[in-house]
Parts: sequence; C-alpha cells; structure tokens
Amino acid sequence: MTNDNTQDKQEQPGELLETRRQFLKQSSAITAIALVAPALVDAAEKKLDEKAADIFEKVPLSIEINGKQHQLSVEPRVTLLDLLREQLHLTGSKKGCDYGQCGACTVHVNGKRVLSCLSLAVMQDGKKVTTIEGLATGSTLHPMQLAFIKHDGFQCGYCTPGQIMSAVACINEGHAGSDDEIREHMSGNLCRCGAYHNIVAAIREVNAKGGKS
Amino acid sequence: MGKFFERPLVPDDLDRVEGKEKVTGTASYAAEYDVPGVHYGVLVNSSIAKGKISTLNTREAERSPGVVAVVTHLNRPKIPFWDNPPEQQDNKRVEGQEFRVFFDDTIYFDRQPIALVIADTFERATYAASLVKATYKKESPSTNIKNNLDKALTAKQAQDYSRGDKDALKSAPVKIEAQYTTPFQVHNPMETHAATVVWDAPDKVTVYNKTQATKIAQQDIMRTFGLKAENVIVHSPYVGGAFGSSSRVWPEEMAALIGAKKSGKPVKVMLRRDEAFNMVGYRPTSVQRISIGAQSDGTMTGINHEAFGSTSQYEKFAERIVDPTKALYNCANVSTSYRLVPLDMSTPCWTRGPGETSGSFALESAVDELSYALKMDPLELRLKNFAEKDPDNGKPWSSNYLKECYESGAKKFGWKNRNPQPKSMQKDGWLLGMGMAAGIYHAGRSPATVSATLRSNGTLLVQTSVADTGPGSATIMTQIAAEAMSIDVRKVEFQWGHSTLPPAPGQFGSQTTASTGSGVYDAVKALQKKIAGMLSGKQGWAFSGLPVEDISFADEMIVDKNGDKVSYDDALKELSVKEIKAEFESKPTEEREQYSGYSFAAHFVEVLVHPETKMVKMNRVVCAVDAGRVINKKTAASQVYGSMVWGTGIALMEEGILDHRYGRYVNNDFANYHIPVNADICHVDVLFTDKPDPILDPMGAKGLGEIGLVGFAAAVANAVYHATGKRVRDLPITLDKLL
Amino acid sequence: MIAFDYVRPNSAKAAVDAITKDASAQFIAGGSNLVDLMKHGVVAPQKLVDISRLPLNSIEQSGNNIRIGALCLNSEVAEHALIKEKLPLLAQALNAGASPQIRNMATVGGNMLQRTRCTYFYDLAMPCNKRQPGSGCGALKGYNRMHAIFGASNSCIAVHPSDMCVALAALDATVIVAGSKGERKISFVDFHRLPGDTPEKDTHLQKGELITAVEIPVNDGFAKHSLYTKVRDRASYAFALVSVAAALDLQNNTIQHVRLAAGGVAHKPWRLMAAEKYLKGKSPTESNFKAAAEAAMSAAKGYGYNDFKLTLLPNTIIHTLKTIAGV
Ligand SMILES: Cc1cc2nc3c(=O)[nH]c(=O)nc-3n(C[C@H](O)[C@H](O)[C@H](O)COP(=O)(O)OP(=O)(O)OC[C@H]3O[C@@H](n4cnc5c(N)ncnc54)[C@H](O)[C@@H]3O)c2cc1C
Ligand code: FES
Ligand code: FES
Repeated sequence: MTNDNTQDKQEQPGELLETRRQFLKQSSAITAIALVAPALVDAAEKKLDEKAADIFEKVPLSIEINGKQHQLSVEPRVTLLDLLREQLHLTGSKKGCDYGQCGACTVHVNGKRVLSCLSLAVMQDGKKVTTIEGLATGSTLHPMQLAFIKHDGFQCGYCTPGQIMSAVACINEGHAGSDDEIREHMSGNLCRCGAYHNIVAAIREVNAKGGKS
Repeated sequence: MGKFFERPLVPDDLDRVEGKEKVTGTASYAAEYDVPGVHYGVLVNSSIAKGKISTLNTREAERSPGVVAVVTHLNRPKIPFWDNPPEQQDNKRVEGQEFRVFFDDTIYFDRQPIALVIADTFERATYAASLVKATYKKESPSTNIKNNLDKALTAKQAQDYSRGDKDALKSAPVKIEAQYTTPFQVHNPMETHAATVVWDAPDKVTVYNKTQATKIAQQDIMRTFGLKAENVIVHSPYVGGAFGSSSRVWPEEMAALIGAKKSGKPVKVMLRRDEAFNMVGYRPTSVQRISIGAQSDGTMTGINHEAFGSTSQYEKFAERIVDPTKALYNCANVSTSYRLVPLDMSTPCWTRGPGETSGSFALESAVDELSYALKMDPLELRLKNFAEKDPDNGKPWSSNYLKECYESGAKKFGWKNRNPQPKSMQKDGWLLGMGMAAGIYHAGRSPATVSATLRSNGTLLVQTSVADTGPGSATIMTQIAAEAMSIDVRKVEFQWGHSTLPPAPGQFGSQTTASTGSGVYDAVKALQKKIAGMLSGKQGWAFSGLPVEDISFADEMIVDKNGDKVSYDDALKELSVKEIKAEFESKPTEEREQYSGYSFAAHFVEVLVHPETKMVKMNRVVCAVDAGRVINKKTAASQVYGSMVWGTGIALMEEGILDHRYGRYVNNDFANYHIPVNADICHVDVLFTDKPDPILDPMGAKGLGEIGLVGFAAAVANAVYHATGKRVRDLPITLDKLL
Repeated sequence: MIAFDYVRPNSAKAAVDAITKDASAQFIAGGSNLVDLMKHGVVAPQKLVDISRLPLNSIEQSGNNIRIGALCLNSEVAEHALIKEKLPLLAQALNAGASPQIRNMATVGGNMLQRTRCTYFYDLAMPCNKRQPGSGCGALKGYNRMHAIFGASNSCIAVHPSDMCVALAALDATVIVAGSKGERKISFVDFHRLPGDTPEKDTHLQKGELITAVEIPVNDGFAKHSLYTKVRDRASYAFALVSVAAALDLQNNTIQHVRLAAGGVAHKPWRLMAAEKYLKGKSPTESNFKAAAEAAMSAAKGYGYNDFKLTLLPNTIIHTLKTIAGV
C-alpha cells in the first residue's frame, strides 16, 4: 500500500543509494529481525509480520505524475503500471499482457513513450510521468484525443489510452510522415478490435495539422 | 416503416456516446473499480493437463505477508448448486456438465485453476501464489484432434443434414475434393477476463465483471449460489473486447465469488494473459472434408461437407460450422455432418463469426478450387450458383443484395484486371495474387425489454441491460431512440450494461441492433402512445378527446391533425408530471418466420508474396456488405475494418499451439500467438449496400459484427494461391507452408 | 515476484562492487527483459543493482572506431546521425527489433544479454536445461519452430533473439567490459557462446562484469552496401524466424570484403564465415550468391518444426545480397 507524502526523500545525490530495507539490516534493525523472525512463522502474529514486511520491503520514491509531485514509498517489485493502477487509482493506463507484448500500458517518462508494465516504479525516481489522464488540458481534450473520437479510432476502448500515448509520441518523434511509417511506428500497440485503419487516420490528421505537443 | 436517420436531428455519423470516457482513460473496466478494502486474488494453475491432484500444500502461501486466504477444493465454501445438484447439472446453453472451479481433485485441462491466493496487494498475492505446491497423479492427455477423430461424438444441436440426392456428387463431370483444417484460435480481447466481487451480505453480491450479457451472468450466479435476482447485481458497462469470450461465467469470476465469500473481503481477480488461452473459451480446432461436384457450365450439382470440431471432455460445445454450406449456393443436393472430438482441454465457446468462420474457410476455398477445375472465373461461378431463395428451407430471403455486393465489390477492386492464371502477376518484384470469397451470416433477433422515460428537462432516458463490448451499440441505441422519438440526439441519455436494467439479450450473434434496437424503437413508440393517451385524456385543451392515432411526434413537437403543437416539456407541464415512462418487451414478429434472414458479404483481397522469403503482405481489400440499413456509418465501417483485421490474423498468423506430449500450451502469449499489428493491415474499402431489410426489424438493420469475417480467410487463401500456385488448406498460411 | 533489494550506485566501479559482493545480485538497465523474466519466475535475484543512470551513454567516433556506451538506448543509437551515416546496418537492425516503446527502454548492454525467448525456458512447468540444468530440453523433440539450425546440442536448441547483435557480429564489434580486476575487451563473435553441455551460460562474461561499451570499426564501403533483412510471422513486433545482416565492400565489380551474419538460427549471432570466404574476391552475381548461401548451410540441421529454416535462410541470404548488389 502507498503512504503518500509520508516518506522523506532519502536520496543524496552522488551517494550510493541503499534501500530502507538495506539500511535497517545494517543498523539496529538487525536485532529487530532476529526478534521478529520466529514470529513471522507464527500465524497468530500476522499483524506484526505484516508490519515488519512493510518496513523492510519499501523504498522511498519521488515521482511527478501528470504534473503532480508524489512522495511515495513502494516495494521495489512494484511496476510503474501497478503503481498507477492499484495504488494511485490512475486506471487509464491498461494492462493487456503485463509482459511488454501489447503496448496497452504505454506512458511517457520524461517525454518518451515506454511500457509501464516492464518499468519498475523505483527506477522512475525523480522522473516525470505522463499518463492518458494527464494529456488533456483541463476540460480541453488533446488534439489526438479529439481525432480518435472523430475518426472512431477505437471500439472497446481498452487499447486506446496506450494507442493515444503512443500516437502523440509517434508524431513528436517525427515518425508520422506517411501511412506506412505510422503503421510501423504504431505496431507496438495491439488493438484486438482492429481499429488500426482509423487510428492511422487520426494520426495522419493530427500530424497534418502540425499537432505536436 | 419510417425513413430512418435522414434528418439533422440524428446524424448518421454520430461520434460514440462514450468516446470521451474512452479517450481520457476514465471509462472503468472490470478490474478498475475503486472498491474500498479490495483484495487481490491470484490463481494457481495446474501444471498437468489430465489427472488428479495428489497433494496440495498451501501452508507457506498462507503464512506469506498480506495473505488473508488460500482457497482450494479442500477448503472452499459450500456452493448450493454444485454440492446439492437439483436432479441434473445440464446447463441450458452447452450440453454437459459445466466446469466447477475448485470442485474436487480432478484436472481436466492444462493450467486449470487449483487455488486462489488472496492478499492485500497484487505483488504479495502473486508471490504467495508461487509458494503453493501441488503434486499430481498424471494421466496422458489427448489434445490432438487429428489423432482422435475416431472418438468423435454427435451433439444435440448438430444433427446430420441432407437435401436432395446424396450420390449426385458421384456422377458430376467436374469434381473437387479436399481436406481443410483450422487451428485453435483464441479471442484474446485486450482486456483479460476480470471480476471484482463484493458480498454485501451473505445472500447479496455485487459483481463488476466483463460480460456480453449482464442478465446471463446474473442468472448463472443466482443459480449457482441460490440467490434471489434482486440480490445479484452485475455491473459491466465497459468491456475491453469480448468477441464471444464473455458469453458465460468463467472460472476466474467464480473464483472471485468463492474467494470473496471465503475471505470476507472484496476480491478482484484478473487473469494473466497466459491463463486466458485455455480457460475462458476459444475457437475450436476443426478438420473438414469438402467435395463439390458441378456440370461443366459451373452449375453445382452436389456438395458434401463433413466437419469435426474439438470440444472438452465435460461439455459438448457445438457451433455452426456447416451452416454456410447449407444456404450460400443454389445446389439441390447437399449433405453435411458435424462431429465433436472431445479433448483434454477446457470448453471452447462462441468466437467471432462462430462456426461460419471456420466452415466458410473450407467452403469458399473449395469453391475457388472448383473454379480452377472448371477453368471458370470464381466470381462468375458464384454468380452462376446464386440462390434466389434460401435453398435450405425454400423460404424467400427477407432481403438479399449479395449480387449487388459482388458487382460493386468487383468494380471497386478492379477484378476484371485479374489474370486468371496463377503466378502470372507481379508488383515491385513481389508475386501478386487476387482472391475473392463470399460470406453469409444468420440474422438473429431475440426478445428485448427497454424502458423509455421522457423527463421534464426535455431529455429522454432509455435503459436496458444490453452490453457494449465495442461495436458501438450504446451509440446506435441512442440514435434509434432519438429518431423514433423525434428528438435531438444530444437529449437522449442511454444507460446500459447493468443487470438491474430491463432485460436484453447478450451481445453476441450480431443481433444486438435487431433485438435491442427494436426494443428501443418499440419502447419509444409505447411511450409516445402513453403520452398521446394522457394528452387526449386531459380535459379542456387542444388535444382533449382526440384519438391517439391522430397525435404524432415530429421535430421535437407533439402535433395533432389540425396542426396544433406542443413541445415535450410543455406537454409534461400541462400534464403536471415530472416524467412519463414506458417499458416494452419487443419480440420478433410472426411474419419473420416466413422469411429467411441473413447478412451477406463479398470480399476481394490482393496479397503480395515475397518471391524468396514467402512473406505474405496484405496489399488491398474491398469488402462489400449487405447488412441492411446502416445506422451509423462510422461504427459500421469500424466493424468491418475490425473483421478484416481478424480475418487477416486467422488467414496468416493465428494458431494456438500445444505440445501434445504434455497437453500444454507453448505459445500462450502475445509474443508467440501473433495477432495482426498495425503494419500488417492494408487499405480497406468498405462498401455497404445500405438497403433496409423490410422484414426483420423496424430499423431495417441486419447483423454486422461478424459478416465481415465470414469468408474472409478464404479470400486471402485464394489470393495466395493465385499469387503462388500453392493451395494452403491448413490455416494459418505462415510462410513456411509456401517455401 | 519475490521481494528484493534495490540499490542505485553512482559509478561503474560501485556497481561492479555491489554485484561482486552479492552472489544473488543482478544488474538492471532498461529492465525490459529482466523484469519480464522475474515476473515469470525464471530468474529471482535478491538484489537489483540499477545501472541505468551510469554515465555510459555516449556515442562517439575515435579514429576508425565508433564507440557506443552500454547504456545508450536502442532508439538513441538507431536515430543517431553518426550511426545512420556510418553504420546503417546497425540502425536497421535496431529498428527491426521489438517496438518503439521497448527500444526507448532497451539498452545496448541489455540487448546483448537478453535471454532466449524459447517457450520451454519461460514456462516453469516445462523441462529446460538452460533454466534448470539437468531437467532436459523440451524443445528438442517438442515445438521447435523458432529454434536453432546451427551449433545446437542435445541439451539445448534455443536461439539468441537479438537483432542488434546480428549486425554487431557482422560488423566485427568489440565488447568492452569492466570487472573487479579492471577492463577487458572481448571480440563480439566470441562474446556469446554455444550451448554445449552448459546451456545455462549464454556468454563468456564473468560474474560481476559490467559491459561498458561496444566498439565498431568503420568501413565506408560497408556503409554504402549493407542491409538487414528480418523475416518474421508478422510485419512488425515479432522475433525473427531468420534474419540476415550483410555488408559488401564492392570495388570494380569485385567483392573486396564481405560480412555476413544470421539471426534466429543459433544460440549466438551466427557469422557465416564459409559464405564470406567463398564470396571474397568474386563478382556480385546471383550465381555466386547462391553458391555462397549453399556454403553457409553446410553445417545446418533441422529439428522438425524448424526444418523450413533450411530453405528460408539461404533464400534470405540470396535476397539480401542481391538487393545490396542491385542484381
Ligand atoms: C515483447 C518484446 C519483443 C521484443 N522483440 C525484440 C526483437 O524483435 N528483437 C530484439 O533484438 N529484441 C527484442 N526484444 C528484447 C529487447 O531488445 C530486450 O529486452 C532489451 O534489449 C534488453 O535491454 P534492457 O536494457 O532492457 O535489459 P535488462 O532487462 O535491464 O537486462 C537484461 C540483462 O542484461 C543484464 N545487463 C544489462 N545491462 C548490462 C550491462 N551494461 N552489463 C552487464 N549486464 C547487463 C541484466 O543484468 C540482465 O540480465 C523484445 C522484448 C520484448 C519484451
Ligand atoms: S501491458 Fe505492458 S505491454 Fe502489455
Ligand atoms: S479498441 Fe478494443 S482493443 Fe483496441
């Protein structure tokens, strides 16, 4: 679970960053582990077990998401996608495979499109993340969102946030020069409903209007 | 029948009504509801395909941090319908014993769920699931249909069929005979199956799930747990693709229900992609033998179509694999048979264009083969055998513009430029092939209940439990309501995807527009009648005492014969009511029974085949479709584009592969089970005849969700043959088969 | 996934130290392969050493070599002006791999060390000597459509899935690694290894060694005449069935130098030395290319489902060479 704003950022630039778990192991917590360990196997002590696990497993994370700074504390094994969806309730980024094979989880990190399902959240420390929820400006939709609606660039809508994040990047990268180029550079986003034809139309139009963002 | 959608009130290219939610990421799918205290359920799957669980050790998992429960067949709660079966367990929809998750120690299929681990975070549940240890008594599984044809069975819904003379084939001067196979194909909607379950009380449950039919899900859950209808709430407005795979309640949903009951926590279960290949339905593999005989002028004199399709060991799932063969061509002598081959796998289920898709691959490939045997143009051959009425039952078509599809499609495509000789055409150093095929798909309609409410703010609320898994039904229903009511489409609010709303049939079989659309139409008409009655019943004004037939609705006004008018909101004010509501159950008419209703299509495909590597590229496609009246141009075209993408996948790359030694999937992910990417797709022209069907429903619409797929794979295969001279009869046409 | 520790050292030396002192620690760069394998439970490091921010991400030319930092992203390398001009073969191979999103995550070092995509390797319920030595090879008599036709052993017939590495093998790259005992250089063709009896080892890298860069000699003739052909089951975002990286240094209608390597056919990027030898000094004709392709195939062996590669590879070699030479 997330403890928003509860952890101070621990990173000291230029120093070896050790996790909290590591830190505790090396300090007085070593005795704590020794004391708690037998309790961990005792189901009756579940409560304590969880607490211990919580402390040992989490590391601080400072991350900007859609313009908002978050001070979090997360387990290193949490992916950026699960952090967004399960802890921050930003469910716009979708899980279609969880193995980097579909593109539904595409977000921008420091302006580049990446797969959030294969990104560990802790590795994004200090970075800027933009998700589909952060693409519109207030109630004004991004030109790509409008073009997807106009050209019917989706059906079920599940791949759509990933497609749109990818489409915006595709234009920003300068890879929307022709339909073939768009198709190739949008091939990292599967759409099982088969909206490809209309997705290309939407990108073509936004690109033609100089729709960089 | 009124003229539909010709006025500015209801544009026929209306944007999707839920578009904004989908492009902003605010549409919530089954695993995305912010349910307080929700816990995560992760399944543990069997590592064998057949046998029994000998030991199941959950101790370590239970002690793992955050775990609140581990549910298995050893500790699951009692489930009334499973434990005290009322006489027989036969499911209404599929013959046999439905699969019961965590029921006992028997393993029927690879990756069958054997435990559900529930913890407070997804990561903890996932890790703990890896700690569950099972040992098995293994048996050797059978998963290869070809080795088991001798074990084939007949299903109730799949009786042998024959018309005319079975032996007519034998004496045909020109005859072809061939065997075709289609592999397992998996729906793979982008959203995997998921359910979030909250037991509000021991006998009351709310389920956020992924279903094409909230009512079916509700009934299945009621039945299984012995609950009252009002105590089972199924919520499924957004479905991340389904294509038939969400037409029944599957193990992940049952596991979430059982797990939530056991743990006392709200539980959500979302399948991993690898779990979704052999648990939540798929298209069965088939082996088909077709022979067609013809006179030398091309007149077909006999067709025989024998099909084998796979099913599970516990249910007989039958689809409509031989149906196109019965109805597409005017042939007097036709016999078909369809047998089921039980394999040690989970039960297949409806998959986009169920049956027809696999069956038409064989039929339409065979017709192409016949055209070469006859040295006749394949389009001409099809025209020659065009059926003026349904040859299956002799009934007239409710409407049939297939000939127009052939003609307009051929023209747009430039079919006449095709050199009939295989391997004769080239483009940019690639071999070029042109192929075509026809499609036919049953136009269904079921009863649907819809309510319509005129509200004092001048808006119309329309409600029904129908799902919208992507075809755009919510948008189309909104249009139909607006048109029927004569109200600006922006003033219509349509609510769907919830079991508490009036019952609509499931969204499958391309029948949503015809069924629920008719429901919307009829409910609005009932509402108008009710309003007219109330206006006429009110004393002392223009409408008093008028027969209701003389009161009509036009341009957002209520008008009488004399030209007196009142606006909708003023009418409500006059009547001193806040709203007027009507509910109507709409049913197919009896007239319908006298006709045969189908959608039709003609597909024209151009492929390029690399001369050395044999990579196949789709180059150009024209689909001409007779689906009756097109209600929304955009969403209709999207359905055909989507079918074309599916057809490309089925023709060129999709194949579920098991290692038969283990009965276990070896390509159950998106890196190994290929579905088309954007770069696989070429330009498509979609041509609609857009002529209303006068019989089937008040809108004149026929089904559109599947027709674009039926016959498509054959058109690709025929084009590949034309390019290379190689006839590939075993899908998919991967390049190794062309080398 | 098991819970693990996470550290982010700020120098290459600290990174090497962090790994050397902890047997179960592993580097993580882009994570696009490692996180996937950890999710599948194929590997379970107890500590991840995040090297993604180490300053090993420059691309520069010194003398006749181009040096690419190990942490350069695949997309950065593919789009870099110097690479596009001097090493177009490498740019093409990179762009043929994975998807734009993955190329924005994948690093040069990580790409070299990505593991095989053999499904028996990925599925813990299946036998696999690479994942679990001694458990057997599921693919040998199983579904082996993607598998090796060269250099396989009875313990393993997996292939190395990288596209980039096929180009690097063809271009005679050198890998630079830093270990606790200092820096060493490994020629690219010797970097990956054949499975033999120890398929669990993919490379000759020692435990604790960090890849810091690759160096590639520049040959302007090759830059003018090179091509990467990738044959796959769909048009994009799929691993190679086979791929061919080829470069010709053509002068006066004679092949002065030639480089040929194939992907998707062996446990390592496969240099086609016999074909190179055959072509050197000959003229670029279709019949010479055919003979070279035949020479390339002499040691090839199919295992059933992958027999088609015995035809596909020579066809792809011929096609690639013909296209480069314009014949
Ligand atoms: C769906 C999918 C499709 C793909 N398709 C292709 C394809 O078509 N062609 C292709 O070539 N690749 C493909 N890839 C693989 C992709 O290229 C690799 O995942 C990527 O290159 C790995 O780089 P990384 O930096 O993310 O490595 P990581 O995942 O971070 O690391 C991989 C391994 O390398 C080690 N490592 C990383 N950097 C160093 C270093 N500097 N020194 C020592 N050890 C190091 C790590 O410890 C780990 O063992 C695909 C991947 C996916 C998920
Ligand atoms: S969920 Fe990340 S690529 Fe599929
Ligand atoms: S819109 Fe349904 S998967 Fe793309």
